[in-house]
Amino acid sequence: MNKPLPHPVPGSTAEAQVRWATEYAAQIGRDREVRNRSGIPIKPLYTPLDVDPARFDADVGFPGQPPYTRGIYATMHRGRTWTQRQLIGLGTPALYNARLRDILDKGATAVSLIPCNSVFRGYDMDEVDAELLGTCGVVCNSADHMATCLAGVDLARTSCAMNDPSPFTLLAFMLDTARRNGVDWRALSGTSNQSDYLSHFVANHMFFRLALGGARRVLIDHIAWCAEHLPRWNPLSVVGQHMQQAGATPAEALAFTLASAIQYADDCVAAGMSPDDFLPRFTFFFDISISFFEEIAKFRAGRRIWARITRERYGAQDPRSWRFKFHGQTSGVDLTRQQPLNNIARVTAQAIAGIFGGLQSMHTDAYDEVLSCPTQFGARIAVATQNILREEAHLTDVIDPLGGSYYVEKLTDEMEAKVVAIMAEVEAAGGMYAAVESGFVQRRIGESARAFQERVDTGEQTVVGVNRYEVDEDASSRPALAKPDTALMDAHRADFARYKAQRSQDDVERALADLARAAQATGPGRSNIFGVIVAAAAAGCTHGEICGTLRRELGFGHPLVVV
Amino acid sequence: MPDPAFRPKVLITKIGLDGHDRGSRIVAAHLRDAGVEVVYTPPWQDIGTVVKLAIEEDVDLIGVSSLATDHLIVPKLMRALRDAGAGDVAVIVGGIVPDADEKMLLDAGVARVFHPGVKLEDIAAYVHDASATVRTQRFPVTPNA
Amino acid sequence: MPRTDAPPAADRSPAAALAARVAALRAGDRATLARAITEIENELPSAPALHAALREHAGHAHVVGITGPPGAGKSTLINALVTELARRGKRVAVAAVDPSSPVTGGAVLGDRVRMDIGIADNVFIRSLASRGHGGGLARTTPRVVDVLDAAGFDTIVVETVGAGQSDVDIAAFADTSIVVSPPGLGDGIQAIKAGILEIADILVVTKADTPNATRTERDLLDMLRLRARKEGWRVPVLCTSATTGDGIAKLADTLDEHARAAGIGRRVQRTKDPAVTPLPADRNEALRILASRDAFVRHCGIEFVSGGAGRAAVRMRVGHEHLNFNGTCHGGAIFTLADTAFGLASNSHGVIAAGIDAHATFHTAVRAGDVLVAQATEASRGRRTAIYRVDVLRDADLVATFTGTVYVTTRGHA
Repeated sequence: MNKPLPHPVPGSTAEAQVRWATEYAAQIGRDREVRNRSGIPIKPLYTPLDVDPARFDADVGFPGQPPYTRGIYATMHRGRTWTQRQLIGLGTPALYNARLRDILDKGATAVSLIPCNSVFRGYDMDEVDAELLGTCGVVCNSADHMATCLAGVDLARTSCAMNDPSPFTLLAFMLDTARRNGVDWRALSGTSNQSDYLSHFVANHMFFRLALGGARRVLIDHIAWCAEHLPRWNPLSVVGQHMQQAGATPAEALAFTLASAIQYADDCVAAGMSPDDFLPRFTFFFDISISFFEEIAKFRAGRRIWARITRERYGAQDPRSWRFKFHGQTSGVDLTRQQPLNNIARVTAQAIAGIFGGLQSMHTDAYDEVLSCPTQFGARIAVATQNILREEAHLTDVIDPLGGSYYVEKLTDEMEAKVVAIMAEVEAAGGMYAAVESGFVQRRIGESARAFQERVDTGEQTVVGVNRYEVDEDASSRPALAKPDTALMDAHRADFARYKAQRSQDDVERALADLARAAQATGPGRSNIFGVIVAAAAAGCTHGEICGTLRRELGFGHPLVVV
Repeated sequence: MPDPAFRPKVLITKIGLDGHDRGSRIVAAHLRDAGVEVVYTPPWQDIGTVVKLAIEEDVDLIGVSSLATDHLIVPKLMRALRDAGAGDVAVIVGGIVPDADEKMLLDAGVARVFHPGVKLEDIAAYVHDASATVRTQRFPVTPNA
Repeated sequence: MPRTDAPPAADRSPAAALAARVAALRAGDRATLARAITEIENELPSAPALHAALREHAGHAHVVGITGPPGAGKSTLINALVTELARRGKRVAVAAVDPSSPVTGGAVLGDRVRMDIGIADNVFIRSLASRGHGGGLARTTPRVVDVLDAAGFDTIVVETVGAGQSDVDIAAFADTSIVVSPPGLGDGIQAIKAGILEIADILVVTKADTPNATRTERDLLDMLRLRARKEGWRVPVLCTSATTGDGIAKLADTLDEHARAAGIGRRVQRTKDPAVTPLPADRNEALRILASRDAFVRHCGIEFVSGGAGRAAVRMRVGHEHLNFNGTCHGGAIFTLADTAFGLASNSHGVIAAGIDAHATFHTAVRAGDVLVAQATEASRGRRTAIYRVDVLRDADLVATFTGTVYVTTRGHA
């Protein structure tokens, strides 16, 4: 389209603009329509006309100040870079401990723990198929197991993230380890990851199959208990990652995550908590896809929207309540089985998007994650990728280095508008709890997942090595994958059986009876369920016993699946 | 050309412990749009449940989605199907399956393993063919029909 | 039917094989039952005989239809109800109907997702696609229910697609019809008011643990007051919660009461399923019946003239509704007439033939008032395909010629 721009760019001659537009139209031929994954149309060029300088303070501002578009702290990565948090978990507690110490030595600065899928599902190792034990995470079923996992880690100085869905047994076990090591609970820092039960019902169902209502109650008790006993602990991590991995667009993932955070905050207020008591400890967890600028805009928009929600909807006064703290994980679904080493390049691009997006902690995927659970070789490259980006690439010299880019500022505004519109739909559906219960969110994500897959299938979206630039590969060139050592796992199972036989059965039965009573009780004056779980862990109850008791009392969660 | 009214009927499921169901949902929805009748289950089905379901629904094919090592118990499923007299059901596995394990699955009687990157239409085409084969064995055309 | 004393192993006659299957199905063999349903559902050539043999044994199960708007919680309610019935020692079957895609014919059958009780030994669940049949059921669902009935289940629950008022079909063969409403759904109530309320023997408000349930119950009771009582049965409104289990036992009790009051197996005594009435052996008559079942043929004003093995003739008087913008008969109307003759001729051998290709050549213009006759003859017929030629005549003038190819199936006409 060869027509003059309606307004001249300030400081430029109209002639220059018209000339560009004319030359662009002549040289591009038939221009293609470009949209990002969230469906926002992308122009070929952005200029000062795309930003409103009068809204600088309102929309952009300075780091560490509302609306926090440029970062939640005044110093951001120039002061302190992100926490390098690699999610690991494989096999037995002893194997986990060895791997943990290895990556701490290699530059990781915090602990994370991914339990075995049997733990995710709420079972002990003697309740599931032995073939599946320890293949995707560490088999940690008791306080003793946790003590082994964390042996040699200074819990007062190391931030710990547990992939620990409701009812938060891993934290209960860790508290027991701290008690044994003489560490004051008030010094413990870290996060209860996977505490966002709504995201599990929406996307990957790693909850303990507590019914939606039961999960809701346990989470609110957990937040209240941590607010009282663990001042440095983040009891809630609201997760957009599952939803984006399940196919939500970046805008949908952010919108549904913020809608979940509103649901949790509403529930906390309803339970009598004051916003400034719990909001400072809310954290977020997002996927970082390879849609580079879109991800950066997503994070900048997220900070701005959250600051508005906390201040306007909840009247929070404490600036810590306004800050949108988040962990980012590079997206596993962008990785390909074909030519797996290419994934190192993908992870690098994703990680830079996360860094420019202003994240507080990061996990970079291992290139071989798409083939199996990552090998140690793959995990080391993932750590090295972060080290290179942090210390070689000069990415952290400037705060929000893309701030002021006409494109990035405009895209941030457009992502914000898109996200706010989706949040309004959730609100109209009765809030996130109701929207999940009715399947609204699941349907929406399912549609986006299919639409993306179809773009890949038709070749509209290039995936290198999958639908373009395919090469004949020798499968034997793929890394050899270590199988879990079945002898070690058998020994772990035998130890566990011995442990269960030797502990005080009276203590265990009493603790589980207390737990059942706490779950049955309603109304004011009832015990905090999480407090009772902490006591049960100390009394020697296992993960499966605690989960089983709660499943019985609070109902089995049916997956709310919509195709 | 298959009889247009005799639609393929398949079961799309996940066994074991993992809950990542994006793949199974996308495949189920695509197969529906390719004219297939899909019995869909959420994750974590017991092997016994899958066998009961396959028999009651009289499906031609079972698609097992596995993203996090659950494929390791697929050989148990194959044995259970045979023991229940349902050994004629075609079983395919899709998801993250290491090369060495693929061979193990094929040896156990799995008809085909689909890896990430496969086109949905290729899965649908395979399902139509495999279903027609199973149906032909189950309902041979009798000369007096 | 005389019982044979011949050694069964040697006797491979179709009658003996059928008898053996019926015996196995009635003895509780699930694979035999499931396979029989497949045959009935897909209307295989063997289905009519199988259905006839099984229907002899039907009429003993309590058939419960459950319908209601989408999202009413039907599947969850059924799970709770079936759990309760199984606890009471009943053998229960569920036929869960989900919609087929109108475009592709595919379907996702996800109702059993919410039916955990499906793992129980005394419960049998079968998912069925509606396959384009209106009324919330598949065309063959009544026959599938007969099969489950013959298999000796005490209760057969039929869940329909939540299609609102078109669900009235279910009342035609269920002994007890339950209409389900979620609480506080104004639109849901409207949908119920508009039609399916009339078929309810029992009204259920689900999710009774949520705030609006009581109001919904009151609204429904108000609506019932405006309605005449069903013969000797006061339609109750029950509130249930699958979460707490409240009201489920009461629903099971009420089902028993209704079965006693209204009786069970009425459908078997009352009607012969018209859908399974075989077509007459006389081909001319059979084609006349097929033509009469064709909605589009009726719509276009096409009449059946005559037919036989591999041939058919149909006729149409061209009216103003058949004209194109030039004032002559629309080519599509002529094509339709020819295609109708083609369809009947190709279906004249007692099995379904599906058109896969057709071509028409128009020789002369046709005007309003002209009477056209299309005559189809079989040019060739193989095992899988057959080719037909159709002449469209105005008196002796050849107006159009048409050729068509069909794929020949092995299924008989319903």
